[in-house]
Order: sequence, then structure tokens, then C-alpha cells
Amino acid sequence: MKPMKFMTALLCAAQVCLANLAGAAPLSITLPPETVALKPSTLPGYPLARQKCSICHSADYINFQPPGMSLAQWTAEAGKMQHVYGAPISDQEVNVIGAYLAVTYGSAQASDADVQAASNPPADQPPTVSVAKVASALLKDNACLSCHAVDHKVVGPAYHDVAAKYANDPQALARVMSSIQHGGSGKWGDVPMPPFAQLSSDDLKSLATFIMSQ
Amino acid sequence: MKFSFVDSSQPSRRRVLRDAFTLVLAASPLASLARAAEESGAAGEAAEDVTFAAGPRPLVQYPQKRPMTLVTTRPPHLETPFAVFNEGPITPNDAFFVRYHLANFPTSIDPDSYRLTIKGSVDTPLSLSLAELKALAEPVEVVAVNQCSGNSRGFSMPRVFGAQLGNGSMGNARWLGVPLKAVLEKAGVKAGAAQVTFRGLDKPVLPSTPEFIKALDISHALDGEPMIAWSMNGTDLPFLNGYPIRLVVPGYFGTYWVKHLSEIEVVDHTYDGFFMAKGYRVPDNDCFCVAPGTTPAKTQPISKLPVRSFITSVKHGDVLPLNKSVVLKGIAFDGGVGVNKVEVSIDGGKTWRESTLGQDLGRFSFRQWTLPVTFTSKGATQLMVRASNSAGETQPLQADWNPGGYRRHVVETSHVTVA
Repeated sequence: MKPMKFMTALLCAAQVCLANLAGAAPLSITLPPETVALKPSTLPGYPLARQKCSICHSADYINFQPPGMSLAQWTAEAGKMQHVYGAPISDQEVNVIGAYLAVTYGSAQASDADVQAASNPPADQPPTVSVAKVASALLKDNACLSCHAVDHKVVGPAYHDVAAKYANDPQALARVMSSIQHGGSGKWGDVPMPPFAQLSSDDLKSLATFIMSQ
Repeated sequence: MKFSFVDSSQPSRRRVLRDAFTLVLAASPLASLARAAEESGAAGEAAEDVTFAAGPRPLVQYPQKRPMTLVTTRPPHLETPFAVFNEGPITPNDAFFVRYHLANFPTSIDPDSYRLTIKGSVDTPLSLSLAELKALAEPVEVVAVNQCSGNSRGFSMPRVFGAQLGNGSMGNARWLGVPLKAVLEKAGVKAGAAQVTFRGLDKPVLPSTPEFIKALDISHALDGEPMIAWSMNGTDLPFLNGYPIRLVVPGYFGTYWVKHLSEIEVVDHTYDGFFMAKGYRVPDNDCFCVAPGTTPAKTQPISKLPVRSFITSVKHGDVLPLNKSVVLKGIAFDGGVGVNKVEVSIDGGKTWRESTLGQDLGRFSFRQWTLPVTFTSKGATQLMVRASNSAGETQPLQADWNPGGYRRHVVETSHVTVA
């Protein structure tokens, strides 16, 4: 990893020289790969934070925040992401993510009653992600279209391009299902795809089928 | 070093050693080794790294940059390693801090097809190539400090959310470009114009996120000071500092210095986008501050740099010699009135002595200062530095506070030991 970073810097330096000498070439840079990760937790807010927060920013935005912030403060911060920056999270998800952040990075304890309440909403409320949905509902519920579009690259690759890449691969469905479930980086660029580990295999299959038919 | 609290007790011996190691190697060909050491150190002390106060963050390698202090990876925010400020009043391009708000920006820019659009309340909307922009008026040059509004936010007490910055989100460069005024006059500003808005190529990832657009009052935009710069310290802007052109607003915080400037719009109202109407605001009173932990009743957009100064030749935890002359060195700056006095205390603020100011590179620039001192008693002491400008503005001894952690300008204190 480190030699690669160094190589990148050297290459970019060469590109700058080229641009200056020729006076016409585009100036291109390669940003280093994103390696930082959120702190693991068994709270339900952890997988959710990995998916939603990473759409717009790296995990160090969270990791470097001041210690000792309360549940109310972290929940307000998650709420700010929803209301001010337009993060695709529901009111309930704000509370779930806030609880994870407050326990993992702040002053709250996983056993606190208000953390438990925020992390495990009452059963009569619809859960964040449900089983066996059609692809369009899954795309919406999981904010897939924040980073992907059918016909052009957004943050991640176009579904057209994914379908084309695996068109002749007999294992295509399994590979795409695995990529959604486990996330990854490097196949399409350095911005990581977060894991969607909570999706059922039926949901993974309907999403992968949808993508492969584009 | 720079990331410890002013009022913290003695840094651990291990930290001091590690900091020294980093500083010595940061500017050498061994920098990648230092980086590796930092990274492995960070991995082994994950618990410490959460807290800003607990130690230095890793040095990372980005294009066209020497190893820089990491604030965030995406969007990138990198700080200048503080030792760089001791090298001279100009911050080298490869050490100049980097800060983006939004992660969706291009990584390749073609100067031949680049266009700057001027539209809105103008007689003639323009779409200028870089060649046309450069030929539009006689180029002008200014040496000016670009300082992040949140520079030093990590020292706010009580702590606040936001990028946790040390003192390295500032830099001083020689900018070359054309006055914004000349471009606006070429387009012809219509009567009734109230503000001018600026946007660059950095865009939100999600369509639901507000765009990063900043605004200046029309009187400011036309006063001849803001410029559209294509050169920094005699060469093209580094990519991550806004290549190929950025807005330079001398005396104003960096939030207005829009990078990859692509669109200028003259509007007949006060622009109310998020990054003017809700973000980057300070309490609307004389000190731009409120009682720590409270919410201001009224706010206004952040604007000019307050007077600030730093000691650059000594860092927290240094051991200085007894009965031997030591030349203290540092920098001072303000929002454009011009620093005219820098005082130093070596006894924790009991007595102050005036330093000698270095070359005057202009009223928007860092001004270096030096002061030879001799310590005559052993033990722990505090070095302090306080600048003033010719309008009589100076720095407070106690830090003031605002909810955004903006505009820090308290008298800086370095804890040292004489032995």
C-alpha cells in the first residue's frame, strides 16, 4: 500500500511537469485510496452508518470528532446530516445512527435505556429494511441511487457498466450479490462501496438480477 | 506539539520523542518512513487517535504535496505541518493546506477547454477561456494569507463538532491574477445589483446536499481587492488548491476563496444559499462570540481575519538553555490593516517585550518577527505572543467562543522548560 501511494505521488508529479511543458495537457491527479473505517459495534447503527455516512464522506470525519459527546449531541449531528446536508436517512435512522455514534465515540453506554430505545424501535414501527421487496423499493430504501445510476457513473459505476463487465461471467449473479453484501473497493475506483450485510439473500438476488438486466 | 491543549499538563515523554521524530523527518527524503512510523503508531494506539488532544494525526501523501497532516480523507482536508511556518513568511505550494467541503470534484481538468461564466444582472454575460481571462486586464499581484474559518477549532473549549483543526489550516502565498472588478466591469454590472455569487467545480455527491456557493456584497466585489488568481508563488495553482483559477479575497477567511472557480453570478438580492445563510456564521456582536456553550440570538456571515500571531521556532515541550541567548521567531497577520507590533512574554504574561518585525510583504501577508531572549532561571515557563495592528486591535488573553469554533485568535502560549 505504501509503495503504491509513493508511486502515485511520483506519477502525478510527472503529470504536472508534462502539463507545464506542453502548456496544453489536462492536469490530472490520483487521490490516495480510502482506508479509514468506522469503529465496529454490535449496535444496529453500525451497519447503517457504514452505508449512509460513507455516501458523502470518509469515516475520519467521525473518528476525529471530540470525545465525550452525549447521545443528544451525536443524534443532533446525525439529524443535521439529514436536514441540512440531505442525507438519505429517515428520522428513525437518525436515532439509530446517533445511538451507535454516542456509544462508540461519545459518552453513552450501550446499556443506557435511551440508547436501547433508539437502537431498537418498537416492533409496531416498520423496520428500516424489510424482506423480499421488488428491486425499485430496495434501491430506494437502501439509497443505492445516491451513488449509482443506470446509465452513467455517479460515485460508483453505472449499472449498465456492471452488467457489461459480468455479461459473460457464469457466476455474475453470485458476484454481484456478494459485492452488494460485502462491499469493496478497487474494482471500479478507490471510493469504497459500503457493505449491505443486513439484506436477505432474496433481496440481494432481486437487486443483482435487476442490475444484470440493465 | 501543536495538537496539545495550551492548558494541558506536561506532554508525555513518548509523545515528545515521537513529535520530534516526525518533525525532523517530515521535510527529508525519509518522509515516507516517518509516515509509515506514524501510521503504524496510529494503528497501535487507536484509542488515542480519537481525541484531538491526544497526539499528532498521521502524515499523508497527496498529489503535488509533501507529507501533510490528515484531517479528513474524503472530501480531503489536509493541514500544513506547523514547522513549515518557521521556514519563512511564504508557505510553499506543496505544503499549503487543502480543504474541500464536497466530495464530488473532478480529478482531471483541461485548461484548454476550461470556461469561467459570468451571468445574472449584467449587460453582457461572458464565457471566458483562461487565455481570455488572462488578457482581460493588466495582471495584479498580492501576498495574502488564506486562513480557514475553523483553523484551530480543535482547541475550542467546550469542544465543538466540525473538522478538528490544529493551527495548520492557514498559509501565505503570492497570488497573481486579474481583479474581480475588471471581470465584472467587462460584463457590465446592472443597476440594482446587491451581491455577487461564486461557485466552483466542487459539487455535492447527492442532489439533496446544498451546493457550495459563496457571496460577496457588490461594493466589496467592485472595490479592487478580490482577484481571480491563476498563479500561486510564481507557478500554476496546485490542483488541490483550486487549479486552474480560484477567487482570492485578501483579508477574508478562506471560505470565500472559491476553488476551481467556474461561475460568477451578479444577483439583485442577498444570496440565501446554505453556505451563506446558515453555514459559516458567527455571533452578530462586537466580539463575534457568546458565553461558552450558549447559542447566539443573531448571527452574521464570517468575514475578516482577526489579528493573530504564533511562535514558530519553539514548540510545546521544548527544552531551552539557561543563560544563553535564544532567538525566538514567529509570524503575525491580520485582515489587512497591517500588523505594527508583536510583543512576546517569556514569563507567562507577567512582562512583555516588543519584537523586531521582518520584511513587510504587504498588509495582507504574514509578517515575520524575531526576538533574542535569555532565560535566567530554571524550570517550567510559558512563552506567549501577542500582535497588534495599526487600528489598535489586538489579541485576547482568554479565548472567546462561538458554536462553530470559528475565528480563533487568542494569545498563543507555548509551555517550555529551561534547563
